[in-house]
Amino acid sequence: MFERFTKDARSAVVDAQQVARAAHSDQIDSRHLLVALAESEGLARTALADGGLDVTDVVARARASIEAGDALDHGALAAVGIDLDEVTRRTEATFGEGALARAGRVLRVRRKHIPFTPDAKKSLELALREAIRLGSKEINGGHLLLGLTRAESPGRRVLADAGADLERVRRHAEGASEAV
Amino acid sequence: MSQQALVASAAGDDPADGLRAVRALRELADRLEALQVERARRLGWSWQEIAAALGVSRQAVHKKHNRRI
Repeated sequence: MFERFTKDARSAVVDAQQVARAAHSDQIDSRHLLVALAESEGLARTALADGGLDVTDVVARARASIEAGDALDHGALAAVGIDLDEVTRRTEATFGEGALARAGRVLRVRRKHIPFTPDAKKSLELALREAIRLGSKEINGGHLLLGLTRAESPGRRVLADAGADLERVRRHAEGASEAV
Repeated sequence: MSQQALVASAAGDDPADGLRAVRALRELADRLEALQVERARRLGWSWQEIAAALGVSRQAVHKKHNRRI
């Protein structure tokens, strides 16, 4: 499938990995892909903006959503009676400021390869189908955005939360992808 | 019971919440282990001593932490 990706679609996939690395994510899901698509000039970004979205806001929301899904989940720990703020305070007293966050980064760095979630893989597969549907031999950034918005996914939820009219965004993505 | 309280209590025994807590605890334990092992090594502890304190084999602790420290 990847051999049919255009240059911008390929770089979106590579950028999604960098987004995941920077956020210390265990996995790459459709939100990382969304950040990558929205942050670089291309068909997807244009479609988002023409579809009435504030691209900066979309990126900020996606990043916030990714961070809220940090493995060291504040709310989940509180539910079993652990006060993460207190743990952090005591840990930092011995190991210095930001020690717990640093340890998290160290653990992530060990993992060289960050896997795609089934949801992100599905988005990529749907992008292929969207390209076929639109009669395109190549898969470009617009198709990736169409794939990401075709079925329920964390990335699509971020767009909906940002107030996106998904049908409108999809129409712009289709138009942009066909025009190329 | 208010609708909010009902939702909260229903969510309380949701396996998803319990599993998220387990994942978070594991992550917290991993991070604390990394910090503690690093410090113990700096203070001159042997891998054998660290392994004994953690209740695992020397090979296991060495393999897991040696690359970082």
